Amino acid sequence: MNVNNGGGHGSGPSQDFDLNLAPIIDCFTVLITFMLVSASFLSIGILDAGAGAAGQTTMKDTPPPVVVQIELGEQYGMEIKLSGRASDKIKLPATQGDWDYAGLTRELMQIKAKWPQSDSVILSAANDIEYLQVIKIMEKLRKLTPSILLGGF
Amino acid sequence: MSKFYGKKTRVSSEMALQITSMADIFTIILVFLLKSFAMSPVNISPPSGMMIPEAQAGALNKEALKLEITQNGVQVESKPVLVLKNFRFAPGEILGNLSSQSLNTALEKEHKRQELISKSNLDVKVDSKILIIADKKVPYVTVKSVLASAALNGFTDFKLVVVQKE
Repeated sequence: MNVNNGGGHGSGPSQDFDLNLAPIIDCFTVLITFMLVSASFLSIGILDAGAGAAGQTTMKDTPPPVVVQIELGEQYGMEIKLSGRASDKIKLPATQGDWDYAGLTRELMQIKAKWPQSDSVILSAANDIEYLQVIKIMEKLRKLTPSILLGGF
Repeated sequence: MSKFYGKKTRVSSEMALQITSMADIFTIILVFLLKSFAMSPVNISPPSGMMIPEAQAGALNKEALKLEITQNGVQVESKPVLVLKNFRFAPGEILGNLSSQSLNTALEKEHKRQELISKSNLDVKVDSKILIIADKKVPYVTVKSVLASAALNGFTDFKLVVVQKE
C-alpha cells in the first residue's frame, strides 16, 4: 500500500510505506486450517419418531380406529398388522432382494383410504435387522403417514 | 538469434511477492467458513469410524440430548455410559422391560438435571427430545433397548440423525 501525502517539495523524508501483510496471512492460514479441521461437512438430517409400545399407540383423546403395525422380518420380508376395528395381517415378501416398497405404499394407501383417521404407524423389526433397514423403511413411511412410532419394546 | 541470446536482460535481485490478492482470497474463505459454522444450530460430530445411515430427512433445527450408539459402546452427551460388544449389550445389562440398567441411570440423571434447571429458570422446559446417533449396522435389538431406556426416562420424542441424501 503506497501512501503519498504529496506536497511536492520533496525536502522531508519519504512517507511511502508498504503495509506488511505477511503476519495477517499467517493469522489467516492458522485460522483457516483450524476451521477446516474442526468443520464437519456432513449435511445432517432428522427423522422424527415417537415411542410406541407394540400394540399400543401414543396417548390421544380419540384413539385411532385402526392401529397399523409394520414388522420387518428376516430376508426382507415384512408384515402389516391391523388391529382395532379391523383385524388383518398382510405379508409382503422380498422383491428382488429388497423390501417391497411398492407393495408397502400400495397397502398403506388402501388402509389410509379406508381409515382416514388412522394417522400413525408403529414400526418394529426383528432383533437382527440392521438400523439402516429401519431407516430405509422410515424414509419411505414418512411420505405416506404423518407420524411414525418405533415399537417392539 | 542474437536478438534473443545476445543481450542479457537484467533481473532485479529484489523480488516482492504480491500477497494482497492472497489476503483477499483468505478473507473470503474465512468468511465462508465462519458463516457455515454460524448456520448450523446443532453441532454433531460423529465418533470416528461411525457410519451414519443416509436418508432424505427433515432439517435439524434444535439442540437436544445426544445419545450415540457405536460398535463398542453407548455415549450420552459424549460421555461413555456402557460398553457394547460388537453392537450388542452384555447379557446381564438388559432388564425385564428391555431397558438397559446403566443407560437408565445416565438418562435419569440427565432428566433430573433438566428438571432442576426448569425449576430455577421458568423459560427452560423439560425436553422430551433425544437425538439418536447410531451406526447403520446396529441391530434393532440394541436400538430397541436404547429406545426403551429413553422412553422410560421421559425422552419419548426420538430424533434419528441421518446423513442427508443428495
